[in-house]
Amino acid sequence: MSLLSISDLAAGYGPLEVLHGFDLEVNQGEIVVILGANGAGKTTTMRAISGMIARRGRIEFDGQDISSSSPDSIVRLGIAQVPQGRGTFADLTVEENMLAGAYVRRDEVQADVERWFDVFPRLRERRAQRAGSLSGGEQQMLAIARALMSRPRLLLCDEPSLGLAPLITQELFGVLKRLNAEEGLSILLVEQNANLALKVAHRVYLLETGNVVSSGSAAELAADDSIRKAYLGS
Amino acid sequence: MVKVNQGSPQHWALRTLGVALIALVVVWVPTQMSTSRIGQFSDAFVLIIAAMSLNLVLGFTGQISIGHSAFFGIGGYTAAILIKDHGWSPGYTFYAAAVIAFVVGCLIALPALRIKGIYLALVTLAVAVLFPTLVKWKKLAWLTDGAKGIDSVRYDEIPVWPILGELKGRDGRAVFAYWLAFVLLVITYLVCRGLVKSRFGRSLVAIRDNETAAAVMGVNLTVTKVLVFGASAALCALAGVLSTLRTGVITPEGQYVTLLGSIVFLLIMVVGGAGTLWGPIVGGLVYVWLDNTTRGFGSESDGVIGFLFGWSDQSPATLILGLALVIIMFAAPYGLVGLIKRLWAKVVIVVPKPAGTSLPTTGH
Repeated sequence: MSLLSISDLAAGYGPLEVLHGFDLEVNQGEIVVILGANGAGKTTTMRAISGMIARRGRIEFDGQDISSSSPDSIVRLGIAQVPQGRGTFADLTVEENMLAGAYVRRDEVQADVERWFDVFPRLRERRAQRAGSLSGGEQQMLAIARALMSRPRLLLCDEPSLGLAPLITQELFGVLKRLNAEEGLSILLVEQNANLALKVAHRVYLLETGNVVSSGSAAELAADDSIRKAYLGS
Repeated sequence: MVKVNQGSPQHWALRTLGVALIALVVVWVPTQMSTSRIGQFSDAFVLIIAAMSLNLVLGFTGQISIGHSAFFGIGGYTAAILIKDHGWSPGYTFYAAAVIAFVVGCLIALPALRIKGIYLALVTLAVAVLFPTLVKWKKLAWLTDGAKGIDSVRYDEIPVWPILGELKGRDGRAVFAYWLAFVLLVITYLVCRGLVKSRFGRSLVAIRDNETAAAVMGVNLTVTKVLVFGASAALCALAGVLSTLRTGVITPEGQYVTLLGSIVFLLIMVVGGAGTLWGPIVGGLVYVWLDNTTRGFGSESDGVIGFLFGWSDQSPATLILGLALVIIMFAAPYGLVGLIKRLWAKVVIVVPKPAGTSLPTTGH
């Protein structure tokens, strides 16, 4: 069943059009990766889905048209975004960051905090610490945990591997995979790192200068020669 | 160095001691000090309230405003006009001033908050410059009495409050103004504390730290910014009412009605510690103390001051005040509250509760 269904999406900044009208779909329980180089329009796609910028075309979430909804109402519908560069609130403590993530909810908030602390034990150790004092990897964990606090059905992750050591990145992708397998969370992930992306993804879209140039299952794309050359370097 | 566990009996004892000390000073001032000293404290309270209101917008939400002197003026003029022209009892003008300033604050915020940083500073600066001119405008003279301003704004009779008993004469008025200012200060503090420590407050700090992340968390940026600006304007108007009731006068050139007022509020907030609840309190007390102390430094002073500044005909007061503030900012870049916290940590360390035992705070 299709959870997020995008058709003919065009968006940009002022007169500058970055996305030139493409289709994209995320099914219930899937991990979908948007793969692309710098400037391909990956982050712009994320912003368009979460309502941060003006966009044209049709975006349907769970059968509901959200192509002109405001960011806060989109969060309320069940789409959470982990912004690029983590965007943790440096002056709030780890726990306060989590509570801020639950901004759109009021019930069972504390229970959820503990629940995600179980998944990310290192955050529990640091719960009273300023988020600004965490390491990059911990901040990325916090950003994901914070996004989960809104109880999303779809998680948007904007390049979570950015600036992290390979080992930390692997751990992070392991967590995302587990969330998908155990909680049934659907994930739309933006990545430059094709090796990583193809390992976790069910399906992949290849984005080049604002257009989807190729899409298919992770296995299909990994087998495609031209893609291997351009993105896997072998 | 002593270590104290958070929430332990020792910790509570320390807190109780702190509150008792503050209470002692608060009662000591109006009962033991001279009328002029009491007046200085009332002045400080007024400035603290204004700085607290600015702190809400600038310190916690990160939206710069140099226009708060206008909200101060709106408060003062609302009180003066309602009391003199419409025979209102002064107490009710607080409500009216807060409501009017809230509405004006929200209206200014609507266009102003679409822009950021230096541009927002300029828009609010324009508001601050515009207000005195608007008040002086001939076509509004029927309302504001033009450049002359409005005087003799006061309680006809000093209200009788339960514990204070009957107060009389000039001294009695000073004591009453002191307590009135103190009560409003406590209310403002509690309002700010309630706002800041709530779900709403977290969204404010979230906006300050990372606007994009706050938005994808579901915080409605426009509504939140407009509301906090309105609330801040309303609190600042209370300070304006208070100031007018204490001095009995409001003019377009009044001390805190012009742009200078905005600068003073900003100074107090930053010197005390932006984004902290106690910053404006410490900053306000220090500012008024410095201002009054240095004001006495004439060109004919003796001693060090005379030696250093005796060559000048002018009073060095402003210069010394400015220097003192520069030194404070140099010694305490995070404000005086930050400095006090750092020094205090060398004496007593409050150990936070171990992980996993914090009390549930559901409902926020």
